[in-house]
Amino acid sequence: MPSLLVIVFVLQLTIHLVNTFGVETINNVLWHLYNMLPVPTSQSANKLRVLKKEYNTVRMQMNATSSQDEFAKWAKLRRKSDKLGEEIEGCKNTLDSTRANFNKIVGGLRWLGLNGFRMLLQFWFQKQPMFWIPQGWAPYYAEWLLSFPRAPVGSVSVQSWSIACLAVIQLVSDAVVAAVALAATPRSAGVKQREAMKVPGEKTTPAQEGKAPEKKEL
Amino acid sequence: MSSAVVNADDELEPTLQSILDQKSLRWIFVGGKGGVGKTTTSCSLAIQLARVRRSVLLISTDPAHNLSDAFSQKFGKEARLVEGYTNLSAMEIDPNGSIQDLIGQADDQEGEVAGGMGMMQDLAYAIPGIDEAMSFAEVLKQVKSLSYETIIFDTAPTGHTLRFLQFPTVLEKALAKISALSTQFGPMLNGILGANGGLPNGQSLPEMMEKLEGLRETISEVNGQFKDENMTTFVCVCIPEFLSLYETERMIQELANYNIDTHSIVVNQLLFPKAGSDCDQCNARRKMQKKYLGQIAELYDDFNVVKMPLLVEEVRGKDRLESFSEMLIKPYVPPAGGL
Repeated sequence: MPSLLVIVFVLQLTIHLVNTFGVETINNVLWHLYNMLPVPTSQSANKLRVLKKEYNTVRMQMNATSSQDEFAKWAKLRRKSDKLGEEIEGCKNTLDSTRANFNKIVGGLRWLGLNGFRMLLQFWFQKQPMFWIPQGWAPYYAEWLLSFPRAPVGSVSVQSWSIACLAVIQLVSDAVVAAVALAATPRSAGVKQREAMKVPGEKTTPAQEGKAPEKKEL
Repeated sequence: MSSAVVNADDELEPTLQSILDQKSLRWIFVGGKGGVGKTTTSCSLAIQLARVRRSVLLISTDPAHNLSDAFSQKFGKEARLVEGYTNLSAMEIDPNGSIQDLIGQADDQEGEVAGGMGMMQDLAYAIPGIDEAMSFAEVLKQVKSLSYETIIFDTAPTGHTLRFLQFPTVLEKALAKISALSTQFGPMLNGILGANGGLPNGQSLPEMMEKLEGLRETISEVNGQFKDENMTTFVCVCIPEFLSLYETERMIQELANYNIDTHSIVVNQLLFPKAGSDCDQCNARRKMQKKYLGQIAELYDDFNVVKMPLLVEEVRGKDRLESFSEMLIKPYVPPAGGL
């Protein structure tokens, strides 16, 4: 059993990561992973892919067939494409509804696993000190604040620890993002951009200057 | 020899005999693009049916009424016997006329004309296609009370027809909604409108709802009958030309969507130039028609495809219609040696 300190930190980190990458992305990834399993939805997704391919070939054939010269062939292709279109529509609808259900369930589970778990921890261990700070390190009001709400004074409560974790994670992630952005943009591009930027309306190009009086004459 | 036998088995007979033989048929629709000979075909079919059924009614729902022209006799909103027949009647209904009648009735009852149309009219016109539905409902009411064995509809050109057939479904849904709403909000409305539920112009809400409900019942009953292939069939009329064929294909697909049975196509206005004819137009046209006939045979192999020739005279009057109608039953034999 890892220490509670680590668990809280990891939990906060996970919540932060989920929020950064976005619920949508994570749902998409999970959906893809889920569809790799031999579940009925993956079969229908496969079916949809096959149907779409078939539909496209039929449409291409239909477009290549002259409706005036080979009406029978054209009409048969059209019937086929109409039928396929309907099937695709139905398949899509069922898939969409399954997907919506999946998202709902995953969302619920995620909330329970992260925020619910956090709340549970904070409730369960609210009276327990995470660790003690040396006596006389901080004035009484700071000690009181660190132990807020119900941990014994002189210790750090689970709530304070969570907030501290969150703050650190936030700072580090901001620093990482800034560093990555700095590394990713080449220095010259930044300079160029600065050069290219002009205040609109202040300066006109020579061509425009030349044109303006001509227009006035007209 | 053997191929001929296979052919005879394979292809359905090129006549409308199956419709005559199917005694359970009550509604027969005849439809197609404008100008392909729907009226002629429906009149001919009616004549043939009159020989084997107890009583036949021919109804034209086409705003451009041609029944009077075809039989050289004036028909109106009431069913009238066709001259020379004892069991064949015809009527022409005007899709635009009957809504006015319906609204007019309500006004007459109150005996006030000025400003009387208001609300009911607005409400009635708000539903798309209501005029057709009204005429439809009126006809059905009449037809139900009369005891015709078979009713043939000479329908308006394609787009019109499909809307006409689709309408019962649409109206049924709309009316179901209105009914549901009125049961929910009825008490509240009544509170506003007064104890006896009087609308402006002396119409009462419950009465109106009752009327609509009655209409809905009639429509849903008939709708059920239309979707029964034992009671209803649709005869498609076309000419062997691209647009007509295209429309026919579209119509057949849509009919399939509405679950309305159709298994007969009448190909009209076929040219059969005599052997050695030096009419360039006729020969060229015959070639084109042959191409489309081939396409029809390929595409509609599970249909009765009836081939009707283009005659040299207009098909009008009882005698000509009768001789024309023979060809629906006994396939026309083109002159030997032609193209």
